[in-house]
This record gives sequence, C-alpha cells and structure tokens, in this order.
Amino acid sequence: MATHNPTQKAPERETFKIPIGPQHPALKEPGHFEFAVDGETVTDATVRLGYVHRGIEKGVESRTWIQGQYLVERVCGICSHVHATTYCLAVEKLAGVEAPPRAQAIRSLVAELERIHSHMLWLGVAAHEAGFDMLFMYSWRDRETVMNLLEGITGNRVNYSANILGGVKCDITPEQDAAIRAGVDYLEERTRHYLDVVQNDTMFMRRTKNVGTMTREQAEQMGVVGPTARASGVPRDIRVDAPYAAYKDFPVNVITETAGDLHARFVVRVNELFETFRLIRAILDHLPEGDLQTRVKRKIPAGETIMRIEAPRGELFYYVKSAGGETPDRVKIRTPTLPNMASVLELAVGHQLADMPMILTGIDPCFSCNDRMITVRDTHSNQRDVWTWDQLRKYGMNAAQ
Amino acid sequence: MQTETLEVKLKTAAKFLDRWAVETTTPEPERLDVVIDATDLLAAVAGMVKIQWGYLATITGIDLGVEDGRLELLYHFCSGPAVVTLRVRIPRGNAFIPSIYEFIPSVSFYERELIEMLGITIANTPNTDRLFLPDDWPEGVYPLRKDFDINEAQTPRNRKANGNT
Repeated sequence: MATHNPTQKAPERETFKIPIGPQHPALKEPGHFEFAVDGETVTDATVRLGYVHRGIEKGVESRTWIQGQYLVERVCGICSHVHATTYCLAVEKLAGVEAPPRAQAIRSLVAELERIHSHMLWLGVAAHEAGFDMLFMYSWRDRETVMNLLEGITGNRVNYSANILGGVKCDITPEQDAAIRAGVDYLEERTRHYLDVVQNDTMFMRRTKNVGTMTREQAEQMGVVGPTARASGVPRDIRVDAPYAAYKDFPVNVITETAGDLHARFVVRVNELFETFRLIRAILDHLPEGDLQTRVKRKIPAGETIMRIEAPRGELFYYVKSAGGETPDRVKIRTPTLPNMASVLELAVGHQLADMPMILTGIDPCFSCNDRMITVRDTHSNQRDVWTWDQLRKYGMNAAQ
Repeated sequence: MQTETLEVKLKTAAKFLDRWAVETTTPEPERLDVVIDATDLLAAVAGMVKIQWGYLATITGIDLGVEDGRLELLYHFCSGPAVVTLRVRIPRGNAFIPSIYEFIPSVSFYERELIEMLGITIANTPNTDRLFLPDDWPEGVYPLRKDFDINEAQTPRNRKANGNT
C-alpha cells in the first residue's frame, strides 16, 4: 500500500479510477460503475443508478388501482409479468378476494414461460461477454420460440399484461396447449446442448471457474436472492418458501449448486430451465377448469400488505398500502437486482479488471452491463482514454487467454 | 433455520424483539410487525443479525402526511415464508435515524434511497451520494413526501425543454 507523503511529488503507486457507463445504447437500464484499480486488481467499486429512474413508485400514488398495474408492469421490460402478478396478488389480498384456480395456474404458466425467455436472454448476453458469440446467437435464436408462445397467449412479446385485478385476461386454448408443448420439447432439447457447452467447453470453463466466488455465508449475509444465491448453496426460492399463485398445487424443486462461482451461476440457471419445462407440462396437464376472473371493487379497503414472488432474477418484494380509496397510498418495489448488485460491488474487490464484465453479467443485472462508454483515467497526468464497453470486453477476453 | 416452521420462526423473533417492542401485531399469518423506538433500532437490528434471523429484504419509507407529522420506516427481514417488520416512526421535521451499515453492509443502497426520496438524515452511513435522482435535482425536494410538488422538481434541463425558463 502506498502511504501518503506530502514531500513526494509522484507517489510510486496510484490507484486509477475507471468509470464504466452510463451510456448504454444497445440494451435497457444503464448504470454507472466506478472501479478503483491498483494495476490490474480492483480495490474498490461504487455504482450510480437512476439513469432510467421514472418515478414509478410515486406515479402509482396518483393513479387508480387498475392503472397502477399497467404502470408497474413497465418497471422491467424483461420480467414484466412478475411485477404485474405481485401487484395483483397484493391488491387482491387487500381487497379480500382470490383469483380463481384457473387464473392462478395461467399466472404461473406465463411466469414460467417468462423465466425461460429471461434465462435464455441472459445466457446469450453472458456468452457474448465471454466472447462466445456462437452461443449468444443460438440462444437468442431459440428464445424466439418462447417469445412466439408468449405472443400467442397474450398478444404481446413483452409487457404481456396477462393479469388483471382479480384474475387473468387470457385463456389457454387446446391449440395453444399443443403449441406450448411442442415449443417446450424443442427448447428442452436445445437446453441439453447448452448444459453440455456450459459444463464441458474449455474456453467457457476458464472464463467462469473460480471467478467471483461468493461463499454461502456471504450470500446469506448480503441477502442476495434468486439464482445468484442458489449458486452459492442457499436454497432460497419464494416459489417454495412461500408458494403463491398456483405453486402450491405445482411444487417446484429448488436447484442449487455449492461452488458459488460464476460457473455455478451458469449451471444453476441452465438446470432451472429443465425444472421450468417440467413445471409447464405439469400445469398444462392439470390446468383447473373454471372462471378466469373475479370482481374487484374500485375502492380497496384500507390496510397494508407484503407480497413476495420469485422473479427470474430472484425475490421480488412489494409493499402495498391502501388508505381505503381509489388510489394506492404507497407502493414500494424492491427488485432482485438491487441486493445482487450490492454483492457485485463486494465481489469485485480483489478481482482482475478483465473479470468485471463477466462478474457483472453473472448476477443477470437486468442487462445494465452491455455496450457502454468507459473512461480510463490516469490520476497522475489526468489523461483520459475513452474505451467503449466493447473494448473492455475484448481486453477481458485477451487477458483471459 | 431452514427446517423451522413458520410459527417457530415468528415466535423466535417475537420473543427476541419483545424487550424493545412498543407494540407487536400479526397483520397476516406470515408476518410479524414490531413497533420500536428509533433509539432502539440499532440494538434490535444488531440482535437480529446476531441470532441470524433471516436477511434484510429492504427498507420501506412512508410519509404519513403533513397532518400526522411523522415518517415511518419499515425494516423488512425475511426468512423463508416469514417476514418480520421493524417499524420506526420519526418526526417529519427532524427526520433522523442512525445507519445500520455496521451490522448489514449491503444496506447502503436502501439508505441512499431513503435520503434522497424522503429527506431522511442517516448518521454514519458511508455513502450519501444520489443513487436514483438526477444530478441536477434541486436540493431539499423529496419526491416520496406527500406534500411534494412536481413544479418544484423542475430541473434546469427540464425547464428548458418545457420552454419555461
């Protein structure tokens, strides 16, 4: 460690600050990270979020309960369904009504299809960051299958709006049932190939094994959620811990790994896909008959409730408070990326700069880790070299060879 | 902890938190809601961490309104299906709370959010930088307070864009 000496003009060793972000043209949700590096090693990391902060929590307060659902659905472009589902389940609890069993099953069905789309999207992006563009193209090509299924059921590729307060708005017809089964069969076969790649490809293993390792104790203490926690051996899955929608009738097997490194996060997510395929078939096999909706009054009785569900990235937490009127009094949303992001900042310390793209991508941060501008600043001369995210990615790949 | 039932988990927490509890309720079967004094917050949080009761899911900040004159902070701890909420009420005019960073380092994000959204002063939190709001957001304007006026939130850039200089 360099000690500060006022008589010394240029200390032997200075840390460089490397800001990454926030410009982020290719995918949604930009963020700005600043890594302090000593040579190649990261010594500190901070983050600035909010570039896509839209004031949704405040916005909900001035809208009706029904409008609120469509607003919260826009929190995330990838896992929109889970937001609407959590909101609807919370409001239904406050209103004292329960959606019919068929509606609950369809909610779970769409949620699982969404999980496939989210995990495959992530697999592609993560592969891209590792310099494995072939896998990226395959997984994104295959993802179109599930996108078409979602469009077939709800009419939309993203922001499906399958939910309404008190139920769902779309049914599963026999034709859709057949299409979903065919799609899932195809994806299952493809996922076997992905698992083979993730577990056996030498290049991939070298980029992921023993990188960004988080022990079980760290994971529990930092409160990380979802596949990031499960890859460290923490069996934390809200679908199992506190079953909601139709998960009581369709139990889920928790997929965990013990290694806690990046590789384990890949294996957990790919293995979760198999569990999701099984669940989808189980739901289709035993889809309850009956209504799709119950009536929910415009005014929701005063009260407050907490609703947690398992989004593709982990626990999604909603606190909803009603003052008894036609609009919510307070809606608090804690997305899974926030606690996981905190873990990135801790894990980054001590790692090579070249590992940063992969560690960031490893938590599946709602894609706040793609194409962005990077400034490398030399604190000695205050010179700035501007890199693109692409350059850092290439730098990462070269350094790993 | 994993094998414990919901009832046992909630009972453990209720028994442990009893010494600080001003009021304890069970609003829903899987929830325990404990009102504590702001001065007892650090002790209660340190205790929850020490007995390893779940993890801090988030902190919800609520403005109870100008008439009520208080802000409410809810520290949600989750363990399996159980959710324990530590509820602290502080005056709106003198919104001050100590940081729990010492016991839960990952809390920084939630505390930064409270600072900028509700105007709460948090003592000893390591980072008080803006997290979500823009850099040119006016000082002293807190969007999640109930008396927030959208016109106060006009940043210089917005004003220019809207043509009201």
